Amino acid sequence: MFENAAIIGVGQSAYTRRPEPGQTALHFMRDAVVAALTDASVGAKDIQGMAVASFSLAPDAAVDLAWKLGLSLRWLAQDTNGGSAGMSMLGNALRAVETGAAETVLILGGDATGLAGYAKVAANYNTATQKHLSPLGHGGPNGVYALVASRQIKKYGLEKSDYGHIAIAQRQWAAKNPYAVYRAPLTMDEYLAAPLVADPLARYDCVPVVAGAQAVIVAQPDRAPKARPGVRVRAHRASYNYDNQEGDGLQTGISTFASELWQEAGARPDDIDVASIYDDYPTMLLAQANDLGLIPGNDLARFCRVTIGEKRFPVNTWGGMLSAGQPGGHAGGLNGISEAVLQLQHRAGERQVKGARLALATGYGMTMYRYGGTAAAAILERVE
Amino acid sequence: MSAGVTIWRCANCRAGFFPEPLLCPRCHGKKFETDRVHEAVVEEISVIRHMIGQENWQPRRIASVLTSGGPRMTVGLRDESGPGATIELFEEGTAPFGRAKAK
Repeated sequence: MFENAAIIGVGQSAYTRRPEPGQTALHFMRDAVVAALTDASVGAKDIQGMAVASFSLAPDAAVDLAWKLGLSLRWLAQDTNGGSAGMSMLGNALRAVETGAAETVLILGGDATGLAGYAKVAANYNTATQKHLSPLGHGGPNGVYALVASRQIKKYGLEKSDYGHIAIAQRQWAAKNPYAVYRAPLTMDEYLAAPLVADPLARYDCVPVVAGAQAVIVAQPDRAPKARPGVRVRAHRASYNYDNQEGDGLQTGISTFASELWQEAGARPDDIDVASIYDDYPTMLLAQANDLGLIPGNDLARFCRVTIGEKRFPVNTWGGMLSAGQPGGHAGGLNGISEAVLQLQHRAGERQVKGARLALATGYGMTMYRYGGTAAAAILERVE
Repeated sequence: MSAGVTIWRCANCRAGFFPEPLLCPRCHGKKFETDRVHEAVVEEISVIRHMIGQENWQPRRIASVLTSGGPRMTVGLRDESGPGATIELFEEGTAPFGRAKAK
């Protein structure tokens, strides 16, 4: 439980599938920073720490970004944990504030790689990918998770339409999010008729690459704007290289800490009002939800058809990355945290989950060779 | 192209790995010997029909396979072999490929 550190503000840039010429990741990150500072009612001079994650910084590093943002800091971190970077940075920032290393920390993620730039990132993600996967024409993460999805479908007796329930439900949420790139309603017929990308994954199973950025501000709770409830993190856990890539990828690193997470939070899966589960693919959303104990009896099919399909449990209420878009996994993961904050503060507008008091958010990423090797999760609560 | 695929075997516990590790995840031994695996069983396949940033992409088949030497690996499939098939492995550069085993 973090008693002396809380999330006091969130902000994001516009999201777009195709950035304007000259519009770089730095511009999107600047816009997210300005939005988050405004939301938190703090000035740039109040920021003492920064954590940043982006595929687009090189050759710059975090300190160069601090320079460009005019931030003089006493705590600085650059995270490289892909889809779990947002959650990883949140944990580090909370601990930095809790221990007094910095009073106010800015967490920032963003990318604007464009499609060609993303293709380069995907082909050169790490040495295992460069040497052993890219020469196969493996299709980047789509190919990797196509194989995991085949395994999941076989193991749990899923049908193609089961993933469709997730994509469709999230598109319904996205319709209520003005920042989402894809907001038009999606029907099951359209989902099933979509062209295959990497069998069995089709267009709506694969996260769309967009440009954009997200920022979150962590500080001592008394720095939060007085006019609204605070958001405290009851528990936070992370896992890195949990199984040396020797499993089947259907369990994530979350499986190593889920029971500790719930215990520290003093909560059970049934207590959660709203969840942000990292959704680069429906396959991995299901794997994380199952690791967290959100799926009774490991019945993934029922979870898709009833829990999600019949809207019994709100998951990824901003539309998730599948509909809002993925501005790199770093910002994509932060988006889930920001949405949890907005929901707990009852500021989510048309998509507000009535009476939300306890939220779950996760991150998952860094496709090492056969599947992702990093994962993290937190339980967040509304504090009056 | 060369027959078989290189894997790395821990000199201490004999566990096989792909790609090459620095320390054995099982016993944390630091010495490895190379070995060649020649066969694998196909477990899952995919057809990569679209590659982001690429035009005129021709579909390619990949597979997750369990090798006779122990580790699972992802290979490029050069024929229509499907799940359950035993394939022979070969390398092109540093990448593993497979095709149906010659009868």
